Amino acid sequence: MMREPARTSRRKRLSPRGIAEAAATVVIALGVVMLMQPLSLTLYGWSFPTTLVGTVMFLIGSKLPE
Amino acid sequence: MRFAEKVATVTPAAPARRVRSLSDRTIAWLFIAPTIVLLLAINVFPLIWTVRLSFTNYRANRMNVPLRDVGLQHYNDILTSPDVWAAMQVTARFVIATILIQTVLGFALAWLVDKKFRGHGLWTTVILLPMMLSPAVVGNFWTFLYQPQIGLFNYVVSFFTGIPPSSFQMLGDLTLSPWAIVLVDTWMWTPYVMLICLAGLRSIPDYIYEAAEVDRASKWRQFWTITLPMAAPFIMLAVLFRAIENFKMFDMVNLLTGGGPGSTTEVASITLKREAFEKWRTGYSSAFAIILFVTVFGLANIYVKALNRLKQR
Amino acid sequence: MSDNVTAHSVVEPSSLTKRIAGILVVLYAIITMVPLGWIVLTGFKSPPDSISYPPKIVFDPTLEGYCNLFTTRSRQTAEYLASLPPPSGTCESIARARNLVVVSESKFVPRFWNSVVIAFGSTALAVFLGTLSAYGFSRFRVPLKDDLLFFILSTRMMPPIAVAIPIYLMYRELGLQDTKLGMILLYTAVNVSLAVWLLKGFIDEIPREYEEAAMIDGYSRLQAFRKVVLPQAVTGIAATAIFCLIFAWNEYAFAVLLTSGEAQTAPPFIPIIIGEGGQDWPAVAAGTTLFLVPIVIFTVLLRKHLLRGITFGAVRK
Repeated sequence: MMREPARTSRRKRLSPRGIAEAAATVVIALGVVMLMQPLSLTLYGWSFPTTLVGTVMFLIGSKLPE
Repeated sequence: MRFAEKVATVTPAAPARRVRSLSDRTIAWLFIAPTIVLLLAINVFPLIWTVRLSFTNYRANRMNVPLRDVGLQHYNDILTSPDVWAAMQVTARFVIATILIQTVLGFALAWLVDKKFRGHGLWTTVILLPMMLSPAVVGNFWTFLYQPQIGLFNYVVSFFTGIPPSSFQMLGDLTLSPWAIVLVDTWMWTPYVMLICLAGLRSIPDYIYEAAEVDRASKWRQFWTITLPMAAPFIMLAVLFRAIENFKMFDMVNLLTGGGPGSTTEVASITLKREAFEKWRTGYSSAFAIILFVTVFGLANIYVKALNRLKQR
Repeated sequence: MSDNVTAHSVVEPSSLTKRIAGILVVLYAIITMVPLGWIVLTGFKSPPDSISYPPKIVFDPTLEGYCNLFTTRSRQTAEYLASLPPPSGTCESIARARNLVVVSESKFVPRFWNSVVIAFGSTALAVFLGTLSAYGFSRFRVPLKDDLLFFILSTRMMPPIAVAIPIYLMYRELGLQDTKLGMILLYTAVNVSLAVWLLKGFIDEIPREYEEAAMIDGYSRLQAFRKVVLPQAVTGIAATAIFCLIFAWNEYAFAVLLTSGEAQTAPPFIPIIIGEGGQDWPAVAAGTTLFLVPIVIFTVLLRKHLLRGITFGAVRK
């Protein structure tokens, strides 16, 4: 039913799932940095939407075929 | 039970197998459901409630006030508030400082322990002790060690540097108090990083080093081209986990400084506690909680990915 | 290790390296032990000794800290004290020497007992639920398995303060506020995630063939689970239980926000032990010592499984 996780890593990055997860990771990381950076209040304001989008991307991305 | 066993042995094989394969599904369901139900009741249901409350003006101490929808007002307030932003930066500085120090120190310790000197097992256990202790109870005792005149910490510092022990207050000084917390956190959690780094170092097979020796690679080069890259996934795991933990740091800060002096050590969790349990702005703090929640949830996704990657090795 | 000395000889560190590494590690260990040693020492100091300058390493040990931890006292006039019968018991005489009389027992024992009940109760529940689910996840094809496992783990990583807000409201509605049952349920929910992940790792390591053989011999699935898998998983279950116990024992954030009297555990109580004129540090140290002793024992018992525990079973050494 569920794919065994062992098979995930071997062909990582090339699969839609790998790409989506990597992209989502970047977006989440960006959101977290925006949340805690000391430079711009505007960036801080957009941090939560960014993290939220990244997290949703991750959740959807992990459903894509490998 | 005896009887059941007898029945099972007497029963012909074919129907028994059919019954088993049918019941496997039921068993799986029966075994997993209680956990899921508990988590739904204690975690998911309250979470949904929090989301709902975050759009309202609800105050937990004034339940008679009619509930009014305020839409995204709270989110807007939090994400434009310079005070909350400042708390996030305090959190960021705390996370970055602790992770940098703990990673370097933890890795160095792991590297030393991995030299397998005599008695390294015993001393590793001794080193690991602080991380098992209660951050609250032990953190509280650190306030005693940090007392300006009588505290052991100030005494030791003055013993080695000659600075009078009553001339500085680790917990009352604007510049020192963040470092007081960083120090306790480092004392407590360096062992955690060390333990995971040690696993990383031990996962590197000896033959790789032997091959490097044959190629006459210097120890220095071996360290940068073999040791560090191969231990990197483990270090990554430790860093991610410590980052998540310290992002939501509460107990130690609450007991050591309570966010003070001023707001120099007011990390996000302390701000949230004040809004939720002192000012009773439940709706506002629910929105705040959701923001922290989503951030941690996003980081947790990355963490579990790193975890699964290590599992497959 | 000694059987393949030749294979290791190239990478085996020299004895000088080993010695230096040993010295540095021992030095670090000793430094980190100083605060803990200080806690134990302070517990045996008299209040004046505990706040003397310079800090005293050599002092007359006294049980005053422990007495103050377990009792409440009140100050009395000399005439009243003289009218009393001679003191019975160590604590009474220590108190008399400071013009005090023991009034009653303090709340430390009930708070400590709350910690015991809540920690053991939640651990038993979490390990029970965790073992069942771990077996389910390990052996059966569960739809959305990876998602469920992630969901279970993610609940543990949530910021406690964020969780405490809705739990506070929910418990207020249900009458679970400041009750042991409420705390047990909450800690169970937090611990069950660790239990599932850890135990799944342990059960994954038990070959399926054992149960299959038992089932061919006529055991039902449940019997095979009870009589074959459980005995094999005993070490894993014990290690998991100790991890859950330590978490529940140490937990502070939920305890301080959700309990205030009836169900208050030791961690929020110990920091607020107050003597005459500020914090009674020997009493706090005594309480801290008693609180830490079980954890030290558990840590020593657990040392082989620590790594597994802190990585949710992912790294098995």
